[in-house]
Amino acid sequence: MVEENVKNLREGPMGWVKFYRKGIGYFAFAMHRFSGLVIVFYLYLHLFVLSHLLVGKASYNSLVTSVTYGPFDSFLVLDVLLALVIFYHGANGTRLALNELGIGLHKNKVMFYVFEVIAMILLGIFLYYAYMFLGAS
Amino acid sequence: MAEIEMNNGREVRSSTGSIGRMFQAASGLFLIFFLGVHLYVAHIDFGHPIQFFTSVIENMHNPWWLAFFIVFVWVISYHAVNGLGGIIKDLTMSEKGKSYVNMGMLALYIVTVIYGTILAILVARIPLP
Repeated sequence: MVEENVKNLREGPMGWVKFYRKGIGYFAFAMHRFSGLVIVFYLYLHLFVLSHLLVGKASYNSLVTSVTYGPFDSFLVLDVLLALVIFYHGANGTRLALNELGIGLHKNKVMFYVFEVIAMILLGIFLYYAYMFLGAS
Repeated sequence: MAEIEMNNGREVRSSTGSIGRMFQAASGLFLIFFLGVHLYVAHIDFGHPIQFFTSVIENMHNPWWLAFFIVFVWVISYHAVNGLGGIIKDLTMSEKGKSYVNMGMLALYIVTVIYGTILAILVARIPLP
């Protein structure tokens, strides 16, 4: 139940990640919110980076390179994690949107797995090509 | 519209449906398209991803892409702020607190949309290197 999921969220930030015995429904609910918060944070970070286009070519290219690769290319891991939460959020959000339209109301669990499997396959394809063309322009 | 949310593999009806949730769902579906195009253009684009300064400026000089990104900013900002407000309101008990959250989110949306739109227009006016 939604109210029950919200009650679980009110346990505090650490309560969000206590998935044990709460079922796949709570996992989908909590992770949708967590991934949404990550994407909102990235949205404003992205706007900040894009603002450097106004500063000039050297500044922007330097910033994009530094936030993409980071020290010892470690930020590439964060890029992969960001892509993961975006694809997860998109797939689960599509399921919820279809629910709003009355589609798949009685097949929620199956739809969750199907949409997430499709999303992870698409994520793999995206990461393969994105890595192939990394740094190209 | 009545909603059914998944919980522990069971479907449970809820009567908390609202216009806001419908708009959230509709904007989310639009974002699947917008974000799909954006990720493709920015990271793949037939081996020429639009990522660095020159390619971004060239892209934004095309009025269709400029319009695309302005609409993208409007829709993603709505979806983000509405979602963020929903999460905060779920953690806030009082009605007064919820109304403050609504006002704060509206202000955040307006600021984000104005900033994003002006930024896109200014970037489109940067002369090509």
